[in-house]
Amino acid sequence: MTQGSAAGDAVLIDLVRGRDQKAMSEIFDRYATMVYSIALRILKDPAQAEDVMQEILLQVWKDPDRFAQGRGSLGAWLAVVTRNRAIDVLRQRRPTESCDEVVLAARTNLASEVERRAMMEKVRGILQKLPLEQQRSVELAFFEGLTHSEIAARTGDPLGTVKTRIRTALLSLRKGIEA
Amino acid sequence: MTNGHISQEDLTLHAMQALSPEEDAGIRSHLLECAACRAELASVTGDLALVALCVDQQPLPDGARERFLDQIAVPPRSVAQRHVESVIPIDRVPARPRAGWLPWIAIAALLLVCVSMGLQIQRLNDKLQAEATLTARLTASNAHAQEVLDVLTAPAAQRVLLTAAKTPPAPSGRAIYLAARGGLILQASNLARVADDKTYELWVIPANGSAPIPAGLFRPDAAGDASVVLPPLPVGVPAKAFGITLEKAGGSARPTAPILLSGAVPASGE
Repeated sequence: MTQGSAAGDAVLIDLVRGRDQKAMSEIFDRYATMVYSIALRILKDPAQAEDVMQEILLQVWKDPDRFAQGRGSLGAWLAVVTRNRAIDVLRQRRPTESCDEVVLAARTNLASEVERRAMMEKVRGILQKLPLEQQRSVELAFFEGLTHSEIAARTGDPLGTVKTRIRTALLSLRKGIEA
Repeated sequence: MTNGHISQEDLTLHAMQALSPEEDAGIRSHLLECAACRAELASVTGDLALVALCVDQQPLPDGARERFLDQIAVPPRSVAQRHVESVIPIDRVPARPRAGWLPWIAIAALLLVCVSMGLQIQRLNDKLQAEATLTARLTASNAHAQEVLDVLTAPAAQRVLLTAAKTPPAPSGRAIYLAARGGLILQASNLARVADDKTYELWVIPANGSAPIPAGLFRPDAAGDASVVLPPLPVGVPAKAFGITLEKAGGSARPTAPILLSGAVPASGE
């Protein structure tokens, strides 16, 4: 990702602070599809997924200071916040954490459509090469929102094994991206 | 925990909200204190953002963009209000077309609120008007009472005792006593002048037979008139009589004979 794209998100957020609707519409065009797709993958319901998408992006509009540059790239931050909120909806619970709590180390910048698609392909490739039990554990924890105890109960594996599989899968993904 | 820090496995599960509330609480507590673990958590969260990217991209529902732009076209609320409502519940996200009646519900609710507030304002106005009327009445009553008191006690007031013709004026006094409040007013007329080392003293004679209660020292003016107004007295002591004696200038604890003027309370009085 170029520094120019990274600066683009920062500039847009600054403009949003000044209630610039055009800047917010640019953020929408840049990330709404990604946010909606993550929510839809988890919720499997287009109406609920759109609700989550609208809510997350509306939060950016109403309170852009919730996302600060120190929290990582805007795209990555939106991806994690969306996932967590969609899991809350899936489990029919109140939001379990504030967006303010989500801080991440930016491994990539997703502001550019081209680079976002390239990164997606790369991630898919890495995940598909993981052992099936690791893929399954990540799927259950990340996209279905199960706790490690629930995963252990469902798969019949010991708790420690479940923890190790998830951690190993993420480490493999990190190394694969950084390679 | 490993070496005083949260294990990477547990941090990963925490980032995915895949721990029990009890396990999560312990980790949150540690994170508040440990910068190293916070940094590792940020790293793990960065990994999770990558996982989120593996989803297939799906086109937005028709009209989703317009619905969003409609929402941000509404004038923003105040900053303070935005901070109070920092997290928007899912069920409050502005509606899609399937819920197009919601604005009418909001308008109806707003109208109800307006009507309710109008009624409340009217009630408050009525109450305020009643309070103002009562205050005016009390003020007038107070002014009248003060005027009566001023006339009764004014040194310049002319006090005339009307008697049968050709009857020389005699010393007299009129006591007005309200035992329930311990209130006493004395108006005396035609009193003889007293020496500088002497004074008149008023007494309340209790109905229960206890010792007379001193009710104030006073000296008449040149015309022989004098007043005692609300001397300090115990509350709730019914009187059977009042008396006036001549005492030394500093007054006395007990009346000294003779009693120059006295008057018994009628049987029906306090």
